Parts: sequence; C-alpha cells; structure tokens
Amino acid sequence: MKTVLIADDSETILLLMRTRLELAGYMVQTAADGQEVTERVLESEPDLLLLDAMMPRKSGIEALRELRAAGYEMPVMIVSAHQTPGDADAPTDLEIDGFITKPIDFERLLSEIATLTGAEATQG
Amino acid sequence: MIGVGRFIQKRQDFEDAIARSYQVEMAARVKVAQGTGGLAARRVVREQATHREDLRDQISNDTRDTAILVAAGLIAGLTGALLLFSGLLASLRRPLEDLVDAAGRLAGGDLSTRVAVGGLSETATLGAAFNEMAGQLELEASQREMLDRLKDEFVLTASHELRSPLTSVQGFAELLMLERDTLTANQVETVQIILDNCNHLVRLLNDLLDLARSDAGRLSVRMRPTELAPLIDEVVRTMRAQTDGSQQVLTEELDPQLPTVEVEADRIRQILVNLITNAHEYSPEGASIEVKARVIGDDVEVSVTDDGPGIPETQLEHIFERFVRGDAGLTQRVGGTGLGLAISKSLVELHGGTIEADSTVGSGSSFRFRLPLKGPAPVAEAS
Repeated sequence: MKTVLIADDSETILLLMRTRLELAGYMVQTAADGQEVTERVLESEPDLLLLDAMMPRKSGIEALRELRAAGYEMPVMIVSAHQTPGDADAPTDLEIDGFITKPIDFERLLSEIATLTGAEATQG
Repeated sequence: MIGVGRFIQKRQDFEDAIARSYQVEMAARVKVAQGTGGLAARRVVREQATHREDLRDQISNDTRDTAILVAAGLIAGLTGALLLFSGLLASLRRPLEDLVDAAGRLAGGDLSTRVAVGGLSETATLGAAFNEMAGQLELEASQREMLDRLKDEFVLTASHELRSPLTSVQGFAELLMLERDTLTANQVETVQIILDNCNHLVRLLNDLLDLARSDAGRLSVRMRPTELAPLIDEVVRTMRAQTDGSQQVLTEELDPQLPTVEVEADRIRQILVNLITNAHEYSPEGASIEVKARVIGDDVEVSVTDDGPGIPETQLEHIFERFVRGDAGLTQRVGGTGLGLAISKSLVELHGGTIEADSTVGSGSSFRFRLPLKGPAPVAEAS
C-alpha cells in the first residue's frame, strides 16, 4: 500500500483529501505546515507528497526545497488555490510532478497520483 | 505751420475781420450813396473787397496747413497705436502658444504637463488656472489608478480565498454522492443541487479572475503549435453530454486542410466551450448547433451557429460586454455568469484575432472568431 503525505493548513481540506485518498486505497499522513512536512518525511518516507503551496510557518515550497536539497526524490504534487503554477509562485528550479487547483478535481488527482506512485489504485 | 488751437483762433479772427470789412464797406457805400464820401469812399469800397480776398487767401492756406497737420498727427497716432498693439500681441502670443502646446500634451495623456506662469496678468491668471486644472487631473488619475489596482488585488485575493471553502463544500458533496446508494432520491437531488451551484461558483470565480487579470494586463497566453481539428473535435464530443440531454443536435464541419496554429490550447478550448454553452443554453430543445472551422485567407475561422431564438439588435450591440446576457426566453437552462463572451473576446484578442456575432431574431445566431495563421506552421512538432 502506497503512502501519501498531504499538507494543508485547513483541517477540513485535510479531512476531505484523507477520506478520498483512503477510499482509493492509500495510506494517508497529514501535515499542517511546511515544518511538519519535513518532520513526517524524515520519520517515514512517503511515496508521494501533496503540498498546499501556501501554508503558515513554512510553505510547502520551502519544505520541498529543503527536502530536495537533502536528497529526497519522491514525486510531489502542488495543490493551489491559484489557477496556474506561475500565479502560485511555483519555483522553476524545483522538480514538480503535478499541479492541481482548488476546487480539487478528484478524478484527475487520483489518476495522477496512481500514475506517479505506480499504484493499482481502486478508484473511490 | 500752425497748431490746431491757433488755427481755430485765427479762423475766429478771420470771421471777425471779414465782418468788420463788410461794415467798413457798407459805411463807405452809404457815404457814396449820399454823395458825401467823394472819391475816398469809393476807394474804401474797392480796398475792402481786395482786403477780404487777401484774408480769404490767408485763411485757406492756414486751413490746408492745419489739415495736413491733423492728418500727420492721425497717422503718427495710428502708427503708435499699432506699435503698442503689436507689442501687446507679442506678449500675449508666447504664453498663449505655450498654453495651446501644453493643452495638446495634456490631451495626449501627459498629465504632468505644466506651463510657465508669467507675462501679462491675464495670461498669468490663465496659466495658473491651467496648471491647477492639470494638477487636479493628475491627482484624479493617480487616485483612479490606485483604485483600479486595489480592485484588481481585491478580486484576485477574494477569488483565491473563496476557493478553500468552496473546495470543502464541493468535495464533501461529492463524497456524499459516492455513497448515493445509501441516499434517498430526494437526498441525491439535494446533493446534486449543491454540486451544480458549486460548479456555477467555480465558473464565476474563474471568469472574474480572468477579467481581473485582463484588466491588470496580466492575462497572458502561452502559444504553442496546436492542431485545431482534434482540439475542436474533443470539445464537441465533451459538449454532446449536455446537448444530447436536451435533444439538441451538435454537429461539426472541419476543413480537412486545417493547419497547425500558434495558440494556447486551453484558452481556445475555453472560448469554444463558452460559445457552444451559450448556443446550448439559449436554444430550445431539439435545436441544431453547428461548429465549423475553415481557412479564410491568412486566418482560421471557427464558428458556432445555432437555429435558436436569435438575439435582438439592441442586445447584439452589447453582447461582448460584461454581465450582458440575453433573455432566457424559451429555456430555463441559462446558468452562465454573463462574463463568458467578454472573456472570449479578451482571449481571442490576446491571440491577435477577432470575434464577431450576428443574429436574426427567429432564425438563430452565429458567433465567429478568427485566428491569424502566422505563416506556415511546421507539420512535425519537436518532441
């Protein structure tokens, strides 16, 4: 079973994403900010990161920058309320494997996660 | 020569002298008539006639001299006045020319234009008034610019902030729908209404965001060589889900020679979806909607034509303006934001193209946009 780490500063959205991903057969970990993202990844390497671009304390982008510098290479998708990577100030120097906008199109999200993790996802 | 004043005096003396001469002559003539004056009286009569002639000669010379003098005086006076006037004109002309110049620059949009205040008090007042007006205009323009920027920022932020709660509402409604087997028919209908309204809100947010970007000059397109035929085909097939639902016939007629064009595919898709959605929503059940694409000269023209109720001329004029919507009329489906055509127009123009509409009430509407081919595009794309 593949593990996905979801980071968002909204508990409601974390609950929503956790429910949809668990229904689709993933193990889910959550983080409320960039700092927690770094901690979770160090504890247990998830197979994929699903990061909100804007979070308090430390943004998803900053956390990703640190993780990439430390050699972590798992696929990363950015979830943003902005409509394009340009608007979300997504860095061009960091490898990002997917960009998804809010409101979330879960069918697309789940199919991209399945592709990126190589999981035989049971569509929920 | 004599002065005018003296001439008037002389003229008076002349009249007196003439009168006196007549009196002397009359006195002499009386003596002659009485036979008491003798030769002396006759001589006086003759002398007085000659004396008056001399007087008249004298006065006519004086009159001529005076006339010359008066004329010369007049000429000198006029010349002086002219000189004075042209001096005045010169001192008016420079500041006036400056003002005309400055007004031109101001009208041309250079609101920092000011004139040097100086010269006659009238032109100085005019200059100061002009500067005050220009200052006021500049202040208002900068306030308007700031308000525009605030408005754009506000729309961008609001549309961003509204997305999180909307994500939750839509997401949890979808979750409920995943378990529709456990819901009653009424509950399913209720959840569907929530979802429909979420979709409408998302469209509204996206449209508002596009317009705010367009206003802020931040709406941009990333052109890539794109095959139009598959793109149009895909949109038409997707839209059939909606048109089939109301027994409308959606057909396409694509020129087999359709070339590759430099466009942003997502944006062209957005325009097409807008146009087909409008045709669908404003036409009754069973209507026909035809999508056509062909090459005309240096352009590709894509048209969406329906045989719906048509648009009255008064509405057609404003059809590409924001929040202008046709009457729902025969259908209850109209769920648009009133922004679709305004955005489509911005997008077509960003591609260097044009969009237009014509319509006949009772027989249908046609919306067409043209995109420039920009020369022969390479057939093979770089992989």
